[in-house]
Amino acid sequence: MNEKVNLNVNGIEIESDPNKLLIEACEDSGIHIPRFCWHKRLDPVGMCRMCLVEVETPRGKMLVPSCTTEVSDEMVVDTESDVVKKAQEGVLEFLLINHPLDCPICDKAGECPLQDQTMAYGPGESRFVEEKRHFEKPINISEIILLDRERCILCARCTRFSDEISGDPLIEFIQRGNKTEVNTFPNEPFKSYFSGNTVQICPVGALTSTSYRFKARPWDLKSTRSTCNGCSMGCSTELNSSQNKMLRILGVDNDTVNQGWLCDKGRYNFEYLNSDSRLKTPLKKIENELVEIEIQDVYSELSEVIKDRQTKVNFLLGSNLTNEDYVAFREFSEIISQSEKCFYLNDDMLHPGFFGENVELAKVDDLNSSDAIVVWAEDLKEKIPVLYLRIRQAVKNGVKLVVFGHTNETLSDIADVFYGKETVSENFEIVKDISKLKEIKEYVIGKNITAILGKSTPHQSDKSVTKLFEFLNSNSNSKVLNAYSKGNTYGAFQTLENVKGLNDFVNDISEENTDLLFIVGADPVGRSVYSNQIKSIIEGLDKVVALDNFNHETSELANFLIPMSSTLGEKEGTFTNIEFRTSRIDKLVPSPGQTVSDWEFITSLMNFAGLTVETNSLESLNKKAYENLDPSLSPVFDNLDKPSNLDGMVNVSKPKISSTDNNSNEVKFFTGEKLYGDSATERHSDSISLLGSKKYIEVGEGVIEKYNLTSGKCTLIQDEFEVAVSYEVNKSFPNDLIYIPTNRRELNKFDFSREIMIIPSLVKEALDVN
Amino acid sequence: MSWDDKLLKQAKKIIKLYPQKRSALGPLLHLAQSKDGYISDDSITVISELVGITEVQVKSVSTFYSMYKQEPTGKYLLSVCKSISCEINNSSEVINKVQEFTGLNNNETDEEELFTFEAVECIGACGGAPAVQVNYETVEGVTPENAINLCKWLKETKPDVVVADEMQENFGGIKSFDWAIQDNSGATSTAPGFQTLKTTKVKK
Ligand code: SF4
Ligand code: SF4
Ligand code: FES
Ligand code: FES
Repeated sequence: MNEKVNLNVNGIEIESDPNKLLIEACEDSGIHIPRFCWHKRLDPVGMCRMCLVEVETPRGKMLVPSCTTEVSDEMVVDTESDVVKKAQEGVLEFLLINHPLDCPICDKAGECPLQDQTMAYGPGESRFVEEKRHFEKPINISEIILLDRERCILCARCTRFSDEISGDPLIEFIQRGNKTEVNTFPNEPFKSYFSGNTVQICPVGALTSTSYRFKARPWDLKSTRSTCNGCSMGCSTELNSSQNKMLRILGVDNDTVNQGWLCDKGRYNFEYLNSDSRLKTPLKKIENELVEIEIQDVYSELSEVIKDRQTKVNFLLGSNLTNEDYVAFREFSEIISQSEKCFYLNDDMLHPGFFGENVELAKVDDLNSSDAIVVWAEDLKEKIPVLYLRIRQAVKNGVKLVVFGHTNETLSDIADVFYGKETVSENFEIVKDISKLKEIKEYVIGKNITAILGKSTPHQSDKSVTKLFEFLNSNSNSKVLNAYSKGNTYGAFQTLENVKGLNDFVNDISEENTDLLFIVGADPVGRSVYSNQIKSIIEGLDKVVALDNFNHETSELANFLIPMSSTLGEKEGTFTNIEFRTSRIDKLVPSPGQTVSDWEFITSLMNFAGLTVETNSLESLNKKAYENLDPSLSPVFDNLDKPSNLDGMVNVSKPKISSTDNNSNEVKFFTGEKLYGDSATERHSDSISLLGSKKYIEVGEGVIEKYNLTSGKCTLIQDEFEVAVSYEVNKSFPNDLIYIPTNRRELNKFDFSREIMIIPSLVKEALDVN
Repeated sequence: MSWDDKLLKQAKKIIKLYPQKRSALGPLLHLAQSKDGYISDDSITVISELVGITEVQVKSVSTFYSMYKQEPTGKYLLSVCKSISCEINNSSEVINKVQEFTGLNNNETDEEELFTFEAVECIGACGGAPAVQVNYETVEGVTPENAINLCKWLKETKPDVVVADEMQENFGGIKSFDWAIQDNSGATSTAPGFQTLKTTKVKK
């Protein structure tokens, strides 16, 4: 079956795998066939006929669409004959009949396949003199996506993407024939976490984003390849800027990671770079006021603190640092700090994970080659969106999907079996005998499994997941993908010897063991479930230095605030993703004002304090980061810049995560994060701020009855603190479960180990009046 | 949901006939048509929930086929064939007369919501051209005069069931096939008469 087939294209013998489409086989051999509707990652439809070629058949030469024709042995193909050329001219003349040709005001012009292919293959002149069809110029099909139906050539790329890839078919062809248009259902907008991909793959300017619309011309764009650090997937991106302003991020087809797709957060969150509220100068707190200060003065004040190398320094590090930043902090701590060598990550979900001797770690591609995928983790669609797409892809290829826990409800639609509230209790324990579950016997025992495991909510006991892991490990041939979701968490694992999470931060840090605390790119007061505790800890410390893009609830507690360059195009470095694949983060735009990279800040500080360090450049930090690896295989810049390594290099490591189990409390509340929240960067990016600001909770059906909720709104109250929210009923939740998304401001400020009262808003209003 | 229990029960019965829920989409749209005389957005929402696809996917199918009406229709949908066989047998005159009588342009519905008129492509009755359908019940060999008589009869008696054979006898002429047995069942709405949809009834 796997024998190659030989075909003759334009007189040249080429070889191809059987079952390949002709258009793809030609492409692989360097013969380009024009196309509009065909897209490598979508099922072929044969909508546009641009790919017609001549194939010899027993009945003579025939025109066939090469995107729906499979290769066969001894096929004879002509892609350049006069007949083909005439067909191409004809197709283009037809496509242009109704196309408005408003290229001068179209964002696609300059990088438009319709424009390019008309130039290359078109007839030059149209015979069509009648009136073109008209539609209202762009309509908003969602808050961030616009559709100009006049420009649409009905290739069905966008509709296929939303149906096949992202699984939220909210756009479709409406009407028939000459009246056909793409549209949404009335009042049912194209609300998809992946909608930006349709803009990228639309072969004309029919779909545009509010983010990039009218911002630049393609020929003015500078671009570079980089890596998204929005979550641990590390999707490959192309950054575009014009006049030193970042304007757009595109997905790059990295076969092993994102296959060209991005989630909308990864695509649009960069808008904060251009926000006026960015921190651009260092600030110092003097009598509770933040005042501007020269960076030199920061260095000189801090160097006093660290100079004698007797300082107890601790670090709370976010996930938007590069590996080189992490190494800089590690080196700093080696030289300066007298406290226990460990680094706290800004993660309220951190747990030791599954890395031991007996664990085989999975790659993302293993999803496709296993018999079944078993998931028990956070909601992956919310937390690692493109991993969710890869799971969908595997399921489409016939891999079985077994999902545990109501947190992963978004996967339940495509799961072969969803062990919801009957199997997983409100306390996030599997309450049934796993080995007796019927589908487990069928899909899991003795099979090749990829298990995606992690905590589902901060207060869940680590042990509950371990139980499932142990079962899988001893009953199947399983590989594990640890589902840490935050940005460059794996980079931190790879570069820092010993990491802990926020619950340990809360337990460990005090005035006694911390003279100096660095908080880097982290807002645990604004986002984590330990908000209040962390706030009082920081307030109790003497010297706190925050590095960030914005001033936020955590950084405003610091004594010094250092403006930080963004990992989205303002600095260079490396990033390590969920499968320990390390790839390049690149710089495209200048870092504004006095913003600095974290590593620059920390090395300058050491220089200032007269401490000589060998790692005083990005290159040296980069080498240092991977000094334990085989130099020829390590992801140092020299290696990563080789064309064959652009997709990144995998170096699996088994990190030490000494997070302690947080199971002292029963899980009273199920908290988690939605894809969109209102963190500082999200608030300051126009697109994202439209999507994630709603304060709401999700509740099991019993909650409605228990608290007598009717109006769709209620108030959460604990002691003096209250937040008004709307609520939605979630039928897959256990009856009494309440879900609180803690990445929306205020909602993380409760003490989740104690009761929170829920009062219907009508009752609340009445109470307030009295 | 805007469908009553009876209709929902019927819908669920129909869904059971298919191995996959979404395969029932076509018949369910006919059912919606029989209920409202067109496919309302409300019905689309109901159907999308019943078969587990999105509303816009239902809308896509319903707007593709011209027998699923996007606007409300009258009690009787008059479809006069305008394709070639009928055309050479004087269908344009039939069309003129029907339009004159009803005062309707193509695809219009009168104010009393009695008639909707449409000129359609071949309805497969070429052997008996010119052909007319009332709620998809076919009458063949219809002369311009008989077309008016047919409309008059509909207007005066307002039958709840229109039966092809009965109309053929009273208003039709030459027929494509003559050997079929007499059938007294007809259509009760502007959806075609199907037993599974309960859109057909035997006229006593
Ligand atoms: S909007 Fe773009 S992607 Fe969608 S069908 Fe039209 S041309 Fe194709
Ligand atoms: S899935 Fe993660 S890495 Fe990929 S684009 Fe989205 S945020 Fe960025
Ligand atoms: S690319 Fe083959 S038909 Fe469109
Ligand atoms: S042409 Fe009128 S029925 Fe066929």
